Amino acid sequence: MERRAFLKGTAAVIPTTVGLQMLMSRGTAFAQGSDFKDDVEVLNYALTLEYLESEFYRQGNGANLLSGTEAGYLEQVGADEDAHVAAITKTIEDVGGKPVAAPKVDFGEAFADRASFLKTAHTFENLGVGAYLGAAGFIKEPAILQAAAGIFGVEARHAALVGDLLGLEPEGGVYMGATETPQTKDDVLKAAKPFLK
Amino acid sequence: MEKEDQLFDGQPVIEFQTARDRRQFLKYAGMIGVGGTLALTGVACAEDGAAPTGVAGDKSDDPMDESSVPQGDLDILNYALTLEFLEADFYKQGVDSGVLKGRELDLIKPIAEHEAAHVSTLSSTISDLGGEPVAEPNFKYPAPTFKDKAAFLKTASTFEELGVKAYHGQVTMIKTPDILGAAASIAGVESRHAAVLARLLGGNPFPAPVEGTLSMDEVLKAATPFIKS
Repeated sequence: MERRAFLKGTAAVIPTTVGLQMLMSRGTAFAQGSDFKDDVEVLNYALTLEYLESEFYRQGNGANLLSGTEAGYLEQVGADEDAHVAAITKTIEDVGGKPVAAPKVDFGEAFADRASFLKTAHTFENLGVGAYLGAAGFIKEPAILQAAAGIFGVEARHAALVGDLLGLEPEGGVYMGATETPQTKDDVLKAAKPFLK
Repeated sequence: MEKEDQLFDGQPVIEFQTARDRRQFLKYAGMIGVGGTLALTGVACAEDGAAPTGVAGDKSDDPMDESSVPQGDLDILNYALTLEFLEADFYKQGVDSGVLKGRELDLIKPIAEHEAAHVSTLSSTISDLGGEPVAEPNFKYPAPTFKDKAAFLKTASTFEELGVKAYHGQVTMIKTPDILGAAASIAGVESRHAAVLARLLGGNPFPAPVEGTLSMDEVLKAATPFIKS
């Protein structure tokens, strides 16, 4: 049910003109008007992703794959995602909307070992960065935009740090270029789909 | 703010090429309505005798093309550009200094490239939108900055955290969606830098679940020590 609500409307709404890549180009909208009908839809989209991340770290950190400083970092990341869930839920309620329930999730073999946990985390965090940036342009209410931007930045911190823990190439692993790249709702949902039951 | 305030023990490191650029940097505080409350305005006025009276009174100073982009957005871009100039110069010197090695150097080289890219992107965006990019200020750093790895990393971390908060402080001030998107796409990269530097320093890469904000006047107050008149 929740998954259906989350995925609703994603089949045919992305216009071919969505020019999300070149943010600096004049006249290129960084988001198009048809992905989300209002702020609550954006927030529920974000909430679903945060639920996904929050549950991912709950399970991953519970699997005792990490130790020492590294474990501490990932505990903190998990706590951040929990805080995002709580903050977004409250915001939706404050503006009179109805928060979606947590999706049912399945992380497959992600917790087989340290590397697969961190690699999946890296994927989720970079997906979150792209999702927030891609959705930001739909947000109308300044206070909500401020909060979403603030969360977006923290997801970028997570992505970089996990990339570094994995010992990835700095450019293309820790950093993803001089500017972040937004992702359409369509692409984000496609990437998240394997983890949603 | 305490940390920023103590950077370089208050020694100036930014020297603007022209009084106009300096004035433009310093007047941003007036633009957001804090007017003469800022200690910094005193510094600015005493030197070149031109009060930062805010954007309305200053427009004749900076002739612009007729454009759909509000003056305030262009001013924000120039504010960002000034901070990026500082970061770009700082990292270039840091990378060139030889104080960094191995993985640390590998992690910081791309940061230098990013900041340089931000400078050129912001400059060309300002020009494309009919504005006039500020000139690069001169920077002077205290002697130990590029000789001591810990000092360099600590300053880098402070700059990144300041930069992140500076960008986030403008989120609701920017009127043009494309400019907001562009600024956000840069801000996210600054967040990545901040996390990496915190790790290199053994600090906390995730100081809060949501990025904090600083207003222009707060950032300028933090930057005051770097501004050489």
